[in-house]
Amino acid sequence: MSKPSDLIQGTLDLLILKTLSLEPSHGWAIAKRIEQISEDVFQVTQGALYPALHRLEQQGWLRSEWRASETGREAKFYSLTRAGHAQLKRELAQWERLSNAMGLVIRMV
Amino acid sequence: MGAALERHGPRHTYGLIFVWRWFQVGRMRLRTLLRRGRVELELDKELRFHLDRQTEENIAAGMPPDQARYAAVRRLGGLMQIEEECRTMRRTDFIESFWYDLRYTFRALGRSPGFALVMVLTLALSIGANSAIFSVIRGVLLRQLPYPEQHRIVRFFLSSAAYPKFPVNAFDFLDFRARNHSFDCMAIMSRADLQLSGAGEPQRLTGFRISAGYLRVLGLRTQRGREFDTRDELPGNERIAIVSDRLWRTRFNSDPNIVGTKIRLDGRPFTVVGVMPAQMQHPGNEYRPVPYGDSVDVWWPFTFEGNPDRRGSHYIEGIGRLKRGVQVASADAEMNAIMAQLAREHPDNDSGWRVLVIPVYREIVGASERMLLVLLGAVGLVLLIACANAANLLLARATGRRREMAVRLALGAARSRLIRQMLTESLVMSVLGAVGATVIALLGVRGLVTMLPAGFPRSQDIHVDFAVFAFTLAIALTTGILFGLAPALQSSRADVHQNLREGGRGTTAGARHLRMRNWLVISEVSLACVLLIGAGLLLRSFLNLMHTDPGFRAERVLTASVSLPQETYKDGPAILRFCNQLTERLATLPAVHASGLGSDLPWTGYDDNLGGFEIEGKQPPPHENFHARYHQTSPGYFRALGIPLLSGRFFSAADNMNGPLVMIVNRAMAQRYWPGENVIGKRINFFNDHPKEKDWTTIVGVVGDVKDTPQKSSVEPAFWWPIQQTPFGFPGLMIAVRADSDPASLVSGVRSSVRDLDPALALADVRLMEQIASESMSAPRFSVFLVGLFATLAITLAAIGTYGVISYSVNQRMHEFGMRVALGAKPWDVLRLVLAQGMKLALAGVLIGIVCALVLARVLRNLLYEVSAADPLTFVIVALLALAVAVLACYLPARRATRADPMIALRAE
Repeated sequence: MSKPSDLIQGTLDLLILKTLSLEPSHGWAIAKRIEQISEDVFQVTQGALYPALHRLEQQGWLRSEWRASETGREAKFYSLTRAGHAQLKRELAQWERLSNAMGLVIRMV
Repeated sequence: MGAALERHGPRHTYGLIFVWRWFQVGRMRLRTLLRRGRVELELDKELRFHLDRQTEENIAAGMPPDQARYAAVRRLGGLMQIEEECRTMRRTDFIESFWYDLRYTFRALGRSPGFALVMVLTLALSIGANSAIFSVIRGVLLRQLPYPEQHRIVRFFLSSAAYPKFPVNAFDFLDFRARNHSFDCMAIMSRADLQLSGAGEPQRLTGFRISAGYLRVLGLRTQRGREFDTRDELPGNERIAIVSDRLWRTRFNSDPNIVGTKIRLDGRPFTVVGVMPAQMQHPGNEYRPVPYGDSVDVWWPFTFEGNPDRRGSHYIEGIGRLKRGVQVASADAEMNAIMAQLAREHPDNDSGWRVLVIPVYREIVGASERMLLVLLGAVGLVLLIACANAANLLLARATGRRREMAVRLALGAARSRLIRQMLTESLVMSVLGAVGATVIALLGVRGLVTMLPAGFPRSQDIHVDFAVFAFTLAIALTTGILFGLAPALQSSRADVHQNLREGGRGTTAGARHLRMRNWLVISEVSLACVLLIGAGLLLRSFLNLMHTDPGFRAERVLTASVSLPQETYKDGPAILRFCNQLTERLATLPAVHASGLGSDLPWTGYDDNLGGFEIEGKQPPPHENFHARYHQTSPGYFRALGIPLLSGRFFSAADNMNGPLVMIVNRAMAQRYWPGENVIGKRINFFNDHPKEKDWTTIVGVVGDVKDTPQKSSVEPAFWWPIQQTPFGFPGLMIAVRADSDPASLVSGVRSSVRDLDPALALADVRLMEQIASESMSAPRFSVFLVGLFATLAITLAAIGTYGVISYSVNQRMHEFGMRVALGAKPWDVLRLVLAQGMKLALAGVLIGIVCALVLARVLRNLLYEVSAADPLTFVIVALLALAVAVLACYLPARRATRADPMIALRAE
């Protein structure tokens, strides 16, 4: 499995879940959204995106359906399941704890 | 991740989401498995969509189209790799490769159907036998008794040097009940059948007199009405009854108002005060036994009558419910302490006794437990042999497939993958075996239940149920892994280079296989020997039982029982009149050779003892008293049953109330109390402290010995009073009629003889004496049949195993045999060579088997009759038999070896 260069795997999951919590979208759009919002800080390795999406879907956090995209062509749209929402909440809490702790450590040392 | 936080969320909604999530996951997996093509297509389409959008964006940013496409692909990364990673995310590759292995297995088995058939059939037989025995064990030993908290229920008996397990005395019981602190509740029961008359045919009911608290001890309640209380134990209050659910339904049409109505029992009116619950099971009893189960029709109160200081009579059995947390051992200790007090208070009657406290479960299943465990052991050995056999056959096949394995290894297959493939094969066969086993178990259990020995406890609880299916499957999977693992490990270890070069001609790897297979054959033979020896010992003791002179002649004897209600047959003369009239009538029936009445019949386990009588001119040994089984008979009884007169005379019509008191003893009693003397004319005083001349009973005859049951190792001393002089009444009379021809033709004659005398009497237990004799042999017959069956299965499996190994080794050595023939060896020489190889294995197996059997046969000791557990004849015969079977199994491959063609061998060099 190829490792995303900048992102640890948990972070990629969190980004995907967060992005999809706004609205359902397809793989390409997710990649673009993450890059835009983070002002290109997170260069999503697109190759890592799809295995992650498929994994999250297999784990029941996401569901998918085929429908017309903004260009009119059929695309696979992912959206959060209720379990996915709960999972996002957990991961966010985890992340905040982690980043607070990191912040403290960095300021103290 | 986040496990700590989950706890804070609202539980119920989270639970729902959780369930929904796994439903989703299951659906995804299923979709991946079942709609594989579509899932793949969608993956392709999804990635293509991404590439196209990226290309468009690149073009929009000013790239030329071909470069734009290329950049998009590069940005995404290796397409094949991403696809593969996405597939891995589906987590179904394990199942997919399992499907693959499964398909492969069925193809492989289809190519060698004979091999598959032998494997599956032997597994089905051995697993099925295990399942069948297990369902018996589950029903009899493992299933809970239908009493709440049954582990707290115990039975209690008295025990002395002369009587290891004896009923208690009623007044002793009252003291136990008053003084103990170990029991929640304590009760007694005593067999007391009653005759139901009134509307319809008179019917003999199996009945018990019980004290207050009997149902509380069992943890049950009447479904209607009430239980007995202590007021019902007072003399004169005994005319009330609780009827069984079955009797209530069948005889009283489930009358909802039955409580309070009067029914006629033994000619007297009884008030029904209750109906037992449908799940009521009689806990079984020892004295005048009625087996465990729905075997009792009516219960009536035990009333405590007589002088509480005379405690010599013992005919009631105790049962109690321990307080929570009280151990059997501490209850036993307390009861014995009370018994010691009683011995001080009533030294005449109560000294010399110990109290025996036994859990009710042990009482019910105890006797059958050993036999069942022996059967389980036997059938377990069969399973081990089947495993060894299956491993053996698989190894043989694996040797043939070494080249295939080598090729697959060389092409990069992981070893774990090959092991999995081979385990799949063995598991498929064991699961197919389990399917066959289930069928065998279903049929076998039905057969087993009909074959069970008479009086076997809880036979109605034996069913093939879910637990048995689970057991079958578990055994099948375990055996599948057990016999599949060794060959799988062995053959996947194959040295690629060598196997590819050898192309199947065996050298080192082949030798390793062969060594393992030799050991498997040796263990198969030795295990089969153990079983054969067990079966042989059981067979010998069964034959001993069959050929032991029973002491009576069962053929052409019809038996039946009748009980005379006290109301109409109050005193001796009335009973006597009935007996005389009945014998007269029976004698006039056509084709009757002899007929008689008695208190009991041979081999029915009758064991009523009378102790403490006085023998003229003798003193009992210290701390013991004179005792013997007591019976009563009419004059024709011994002649009807063919019990021989050894000296003196039988009773005659003149031995009545007007004549002097007389008795007949058996040989055992004569030898016990008058060793070396002529006993005719010796006298016994039964009931009088200061006997007058007329109180002495004179022995007028000695008859041959008959055991209580055929398995008993010795005969108890016994004596008979003439019915006309019997000092007290017996509950029932047994009728024995010897016919000149077919005794079954006498049934209607006997029935009408009884009915003509008294239409209110019910004739019960109409059976041929041969049936009774056969039933009392049914336990040894049962075990000898089953162990014999298992031993046959075992030796067959061992023969297949031996054949397999020798046959394989002959195939490997055909070339060598050809050379030998070319060098001048005669066919006989080759034959001898192969047979010797087989003999070596068989001999090793037989020797190991004999050693194991010497150790293991000791568990059989209780089931054996006049055979030592190390009986040399059995051991020698089994050894010879096993060797003979081995020779037979080797003969076919050996014959093939003699036909080795020297030309082929020479050409190959």
